[in-house]
Amino acid sequence: MNFLFPFSGIVGQENAKKALLCSLVHEDIRSVLIIGDPGSAKSTLVRSVGTIEDKPIQTIPQAVTFDRLMGMIDLEKAVTSGSIQVTPGLLEEGDGQILYADNVNLMEEGIVNNILNTSDTGHFILEREGLSHHVTTRFTFFATMDPAEGELSPGQMDRFDLCVRLDRIDETELRAEIVRNQLKFETKTKSFLLEQQHETDSLKEKVTAAQDRLPYVSIPEALQDLVSSLCLELAVEGQRGDLAATRAACALAALDKRDEVNFQDIKEAALLALEHRRREKPGCPPPEPPEENKEKEDNAQENRQDPDTRQPPEERDEPHPEEEEQKEQDRGIPPPPPVSERVFDIGATFEVIRYLDEQSWQATRKQKSGRRTRVQSTDTSGHYHAFRLPVKNQNDIAIDATLRAAAPYQRHRKRNGLAISVTKGDIREKVREKKVAHTILFLVDASGSMGVQKRMIAVKGAILSLLHDAYLKRDRVGLMIFRGKDAHLLLPPTKSPDHAAKMLKTIPTGGMTPLGKGLIESCNLLTRGRFASTDENRSIVILTDGRGNVPINGKSPSEELKEITEKIAFTGIRYVVVDTEAGFPRLGRAQVLAGNLNALYFRLEELGTQGLAGSVQNTIYSPR
Amino acid sequence: MTSEIPVYPFAGIVGQENMKEALLANIVYPSIGGVLIRGEKGTAKSTMVRAATDLLPEREVVKGCIFRCDASDLRNQCSSCQSKRIKGEKIPSEFVRMRVVELPLCATEDRVAGTLDIEHAITKGIKKFEPGVLAMANGNILYVDEVNLLDDHIVDLLLDAAAMGVNFVEREGISYSHPSRFLLVGTMNPEEGDLRPQLLDRFGLVVDVEGEKDPSLRSEVVRRRLDFETDPKAFCDRFASEQQAIRDKIRQAKEIIPSLAPDETLINTAVTISLSLGVDGHRSDLTLVKTALAFAALDGQKEVRKEHLKKAAGLSLPHRMRRRPFEESKVDIRAIHSLIEETYEVS
Repeated sequence: MNFLFPFSGIVGQENAKKALLCSLVHEDIRSVLIIGDPGSAKSTLVRSVGTIEDKPIQTIPQAVTFDRLMGMIDLEKAVTSGSIQVTPGLLEEGDGQILYADNVNLMEEGIVNNILNTSDTGHFILEREGLSHHVTTRFTFFATMDPAEGELSPGQMDRFDLCVRLDRIDETELRAEIVRNQLKFETKTKSFLLEQQHETDSLKEKVTAAQDRLPYVSIPEALQDLVSSLCLELAVEGQRGDLAATRAACALAALDKRDEVNFQDIKEAALLALEHRRREKPGCPPPEPPEENKEKEDNAQENRQDPDTRQPPEERDEPHPEEEEQKEQDRGIPPPPPVSERVFDIGATFEVIRYLDEQSWQATRKQKSGRRTRVQSTDTSGHYHAFRLPVKNQNDIAIDATLRAAAPYQRHRKRNGLAISVTKGDIREKVREKKVAHTILFLVDASGSMGVQKRMIAVKGAILSLLHDAYLKRDRVGLMIFRGKDAHLLLPPTKSPDHAAKMLKTIPTGGMTPLGKGLIESCNLLTRGRFASTDENRSIVILTDGRGNVPINGKSPSEELKEITEKIAFTGIRYVVVDTEAGFPRLGRAQVLAGNLNALYFRLEELGTQGLAGSVQNTIYSPR
Repeated sequence: MTSEIPVYPFAGIVGQENMKEALLANIVYPSIGGVLIRGEKGTAKSTMVRAATDLLPEREVVKGCIFRCDASDLRNQCSSCQSKRIKGEKIPSEFVRMRVVELPLCATEDRVAGTLDIEHAITKGIKKFEPGVLAMANGNILYVDEVNLLDDHIVDLLLDAAAMGVNFVEREGISYSHPSRFLLVGTMNPEEGDLRPQLLDRFGLVVDVEGEKDPSLRSEVVRRRLDFETDPKAFCDRFASEQQAIRDKIRQAKEIIPSLAPDETLINTAVTISLSLGVDGHRSDLTLVKTALAFAALDGQKEVRKEHLKKAAGLSLPHRMRRRPFEESKVDIRAIHSLIEETYEVS
C-alpha cells in the first residue's frame, strides 16, 4: 500500500474537512466537490481521506472511457467459453467504496453526468454491445476542480451534495507549517506518519462514533423550517439542497457528539450544501421588514410540505396534521418544540445568509470562464471516448470494441491459430472528441475617415478582452487593417494576450479605404496557409462603413465589392459586420455588405466601446 | 541511441547560466518538479535539454521492472514490485542511468497513457496492458518540446499523472495503474501562445532565455557549433574533463541532499516572499525551499545561504504571480533580494 499524506497533517481548510467528514458519517451524502486554485492541496486532501477511512479509494482518471466506467462484455470469457458476461466498470466496482476524480471540470461531460447520476440514484442500466445489465451500486463520489479551467454546468453543480472552496491561507505561520509538514512527509515519511498516528486514530474513532450516533440525531422542527426558508431565500432550485443541508447538519451534530441539531450546525451545513446552489447574487441580502419575513416563513412551510405530501388536495386538509405527528412519534422523534421557539428563526434566516455572504466564495470567484466548445473530431486526433459502427472509410479502428464485438462468435469461427478471428462486421471505429478553437480576425477600416480613433480603441479593447478569455477557450485573435492602397496584417492570429498587447501598442491610421482588398486578404488568410484548419471555427469581424473607394481592377468600387462578396460568402467563414457609419445622411452600405455576406450586423454606435467584445463573443460562440 | 548520435556537450554551451542551473537543480532534487524553458527560437533550448542527457546520474532500480521502480523509494513502487515485497521475495536491484524520454507533439492518447496490447489480445485472447510514454518516463525526465502546442487532452493526461505520481489507465477495456513520477521539462516559444495555467503551475522552475547580446559571445557560439559539426568526437573530448567535473558535482550534491534540513529562517523567508507576491497555492513555497536546498548542495555546502535563496527565487517565482490582464507579469526581483537580505540579517 502506498503511503498517503495523513488527513490530520493538513493545515487549515476546516470547511473542506468538515464536508469530507460529513460524507463519511452520513451514507446518504454521496458526493462532495472541492474547488481550489492550483497547488492548494485539493488532491492531497481528498486522498488523505484514505488514512481515516477503511473504504478503498478508487481513482477515475480523466481519460476514462465509457466501457471502463460503465462495464462491458467480458472479452476473455466470451472467447474461451462463448458466454456473454459482464466485466464490471468502475461505477459497479466502486460499490461501497469511494470514487475520486481530479479536475472533474476537464472530464468529458457525458462521463461526469453518468457518474453524478449514478451516485445520486444508486443504479444505472447498461445497454451496450449486446448486453443488458442492471447495476445497483452505492458509492461516495469526491471530485476536485480548479475554477480557472472552466466550470461545471449548474445542473452538474446541483448534483453535488456538498461543495466547498478551499481557503487561501495567508498567515505566515500556517504556510510555514504546510511547508514543514510536506517536506517531512517527503523525506522522513515514517516518522511523520508516526507523529500523526495519535490524531489519525482519534479522527477514526470520531467518525465511527458519529456513524453510530447518526440514527439517533434529530432536527428540531423549527430548524427544519429554517432550512426550507433558507433554500427559498437563496432561490435554490429543487429539493436536493434542502435534503443535503439537513443531512449535513445531522452529520455535524453527530460529529459533535450531540443528539440534536443546533443553529450552528445549520449555519455550517448551509455553507457546505447551499452555497453552490444559490441563485441569488451574494452580498446583497434585502433588508426586509419583519412582517414580510414572517410571511415568507409561512410560505416556506407551505412549500416545504407540498412535495412531501403527495395526496389529492381534498384529502390533504383534514388528516394531514395528525398523520404527520403520528409518523414522527413512530420514529421516536420528540414532538415539535413549542411555538414560541419559532420566533427564533425569523431573524435566523438572515443571520445564516449573512454568514454565507461573509464566507462566500461565489463573490471572489474568477468571473467568466465557461467551457470550451467541443466537437466530434473528423480525423484521428482528439480524445477517444466512444465507438460506433464504421460510418466512414477510415483507419481509426477501436481495437478493444472490435475484439469485444467479435468475442461471442469465436467458438464458431475458424481461427487459424489465433485466439480471435475478426470479420468485417465486427469492426468498430473510434469516436473522438476534441476541443476546438476559434480563430477570430478583426478586419478594420483604418482609413482617414471620421471616428477612426474611436474605432481603434473599441477594436483594441475587444481584442484584448477576447484574448483575456483565450487561455480558457484556446482561441486565436488577430487584427488586419486596410488603409491607403493595401491591407496589413497587424496581429497574426495569436493566443497570447501579452503578445497582442505588445503588437497593438500603436495602430497606424489615415489614407484611402481599400475595402475590397481587405476582404480578399482577410479571407485568404483564413482559407490558405497555417490559419486555414477546417475543423476550427473561423470568423471575420469587419468594422467598416461599407464605403470602399480603392478599386483593384479599375471597376467601380461598389460593383467590385459585389463580385468579391459573392466569392467569399461561402468559404465556411462566419462574418460579422459592425457598421461604423455615424451621423446623417446614412448610406447604409455596410448593411448591404452584411446582407451579401450573410453576416450578422451590428452598429458600433449602439454597441459602444464596451459592448463590442461581448457581442462578438455571443455571436461567435452561438451555434450557427 | 545516445552513443550513436553524438550529443553536443553541456559544458560546451556558451552562457545561459540560468538554464544550466535550473536543470542541474532539478537533476539533483527531482521533486522540485521540473523546468520550463521559455525563449525565442534558436536559443539553445532543446540543445541544452539533450545535452543534459549525458550528465544524468545513475539510480538504483528494481531489476526487471518495466516501470523502473526506484529500489529505495518503497512508497512509490508499482503493484508487482509491492506484491513481491509483501510476499517477502528478494528484490534484486540494478543501476541504470536516468534518461530523457521525449513526448512528441503528435503523440496519441493511447501511446501516452498506455493501452491494450493488441497483439497479445489477438493471439492469446487475453487482455494485457501495454505501457506508454508515461510508464517510460517514471523516474526519468519527460521532455516536451513546444509544450504550449501540446493537444489539450494530452495535457490533461500529464496533469493527471503529475498530480499523483501515478498513471491511472481506465480505457479500452484496460484497468491498470503504475507509478509515473517524472521530471517534466518543457520548452516553448511564448509568441506561439500561452501555457494553460494549471500546467504552468506544475513546472517547478521557469527560465526565460534570450539570445546572447554580446557580439564576442555570439561568435563563440557559432565557432563552437561549427567545430562540433566538423568533428563531434574531438569536440566532445575537448570538454570531457569539464563534463566529468559537472557529473562529480551532481553526484556529490545528491549525496548531500538527504542530510540537508531546511532551517526556520529559510522556511519563513520563503513563505514571506510568496505572501508578499500574492501567489496562488503552496507550490511556490515548497519549490523555493527545495530549489534553495539544491543550490546549496550543488555548492557542496550543508547550509543554505541567502545567495542560494536569491537564485532560487529568480527561477521559481516569476510564473506563479497572480496575473493581471495585459500587464507583463514581472517580478520585482530587487525587492525580493532586499527582503531576503533583511530576514537573514535579523536571524
